[in-house]
Amino acid sequence: MHFVQLLVNGIVTGLIVALPALALSFTFAILRFANFAIGAMLTFGAYTAYVLNVAAEWPLVWAACGSAVLCGLVCVATDRAVYRRLRGRTSVTLLVASMGVAFFFENIVRLVFGNSIRGFDVEVARPIRLGELRVNHEQIVTLSVTCTALFLVWFLLTRTKLGRAMRAVADDPELAAVRGVDSDRVIAWTWFIVGGLTAIAAVLIGLDGAIEPLMGWNYVIIVFAAAILGGLASPMAAVAGALLLGVVEELATLALPSTYRTGVAFALIALLLLFRPWGLFGKPRVER
Amino acid sequence: MTAYLLTIVTLVAIAAIVGLALNVQWGLGGMVNFGLGGFYTLGAYSCAILATSGVPPLGAMLSAMAICAVACMLVSLISLRLSEDYLAIVTLGFAECIRLVVLNEAWLTQGALGIPGIPRPFSDRVGADAYPVLFVAFTLGMLALVYALFERIARSPFGRALRAVREDPVVASTLGKRVWWLRMRAFGLGGVAIGAAGSLHAFYYTYIDPAQFGPIITAYAFMAVIAGGRGSHLGLLLGAGSVMVLLEGTRFLKDWIPFLDAGQLAALRLSLIGLGLVLLLIYRPQGLWPEYRLRVDGPRT
Repeated sequence: MHFVQLLVNGIVTGLIVALPALALSFTFAILRFANFAIGAMLTFGAYTAYVLNVAAEWPLVWAACGSAVLCGLVCVATDRAVYRRLRGRTSVTLLVASMGVAFFFENIVRLVFGNSIRGFDVEVARPIRLGELRVNHEQIVTLSVTCTALFLVWFLLTRTKLGRAMRAVADDPELAAVRGVDSDRVIAWTWFIVGGLTAIAAVLIGLDGAIEPLMGWNYVIIVFAAAILGGLASPMAAVAGALLLGVVEELATLALPSTYRTGVAFALIALLLLFRPWGLFGKPRVER
Repeated sequence: MTAYLLTIVTLVAIAAIVGLALNVQWGLGGMVNFGLGGFYTLGAYSCAILATSGVPPLGAMLSAMAICAVACMLVSLISLRLSEDYLAIVTLGFAECIRLVVLNEAWLTQGALGIPGIPRPFSDRVGADAYPVLFVAFTLGMLALVYALFERIARSPFGRALRAVREDPVVASTLGKRVWWLRMRAFGLGGVAIGAAGSLHAFYYTYIDPAQFGPIITAYAFMAVIAGGRGSHLGLLLGAGSVMVLLEGTRFLKDWIPFLDAGQLAALRLSLIGLGLVLLLIYRPQGLWPEYRLRVDGPRT
């Protein structure tokens, strides 16, 4: 029974990571660089929702939606201000720029809110018992919110014109341009979706743990591990990667203290890059 | 005032050594190292643990340099076959692991308490009041040594091969260069310098704890390299100096903006670094000082 509990916890942990991992793969697939600012965006999203929830006294659901829209807009603005001007440079330049963006946002948050730990204004609910299995209220919220978001993203990618354009740009930007896809518009929408997904995940992380300036930073390696597990450039596989990572992390607590979560993620990254750098589900592709 | 100046010079010199390390790894070799802070911690802790357990300080420092070099080479080995994006995450992950080990393995590192009473080199030669001057000289000497070594390397065939790999690994390997071996050696060389810088940090403070080693080290080094000009060691020294002056300048902001506490000032400083990094990348990617290029004068016509 203990094992099943760990499995459930692992799946929920994985679901929390799924949305940022998906967002990371989106930027990697469409903009072709590893966005290290993903952690700072998580922190930023959580604090935006916190302000809306606690200071403006919105219900958490609306605060999360508001934060998603705001974060999306901030991502689009950051793209206009920074990444767009660097397009055409090497991916390493963009990578370093994203680290600069991360330092900026994370420390603006720290400057305004300080280092103290905060939480959303929600009522504490008793965990539900199913036999010996304990399921938290937060875990059910995470499950339903993430699944809804994933369904929407899947719908967007496969059933809408924008989704088709996004996949076209990811596959071959020049061919897409020749076929009349407006890549600037696609990129702007991608950033908006990335920002929104990150903000929603940030609210879930804030519900699960606490809101503090380092919360996003602590997730960077885990999110990258999930995305690499799925093969960095395939968004939906990143979700599977996140679930697998969550379960592995929870099972690893049987052998290792839980403080080494990041260590487990790092070990997984190392093993994968050595033996299957194209991810668990992808196909080998020569890339230098 | 003299004491303050000596402190600043020592800290700038240590930071410049880290910057030089990044300049070899990223500037010359094109390999992003987001784990600088982690390797720096590794260097400081290796040196401190060895020195407090009876190894002579200079011996501890040399061992720390070797440990850092080996760690760098092993970490770079994980992703040498892949593009730079992966090396960035691998180094960052390694740095996080170092941080976790330092925090949690108290039997080795004393955890959050930190290691006090680290013996310093040459401390029996001069009195306590003259020691800061001697230590500054020692640190500057190390900086000069690393600078001379790296400058020589940049102008050697190895340095040129490295730049070729940075510009286009496929072309370099077509020309018969062993790309992974060049990269691994460059990464290890950077590790040697980071190990030295970490050891100097441990000697300087004689007490280290995990709170001293934040991401600021990595941020600062990137800022210095970008400001100075990637691949240019002289530019790096200029960059490291000017960034430090600017950052030290923010200390005096406290007189102007009294409502900021120390933590907020630190945050302000880091966000300024972030902003500066992005602005430099956009508006002055070549830095202050251009990179050395081998020029051969062709026959005049």
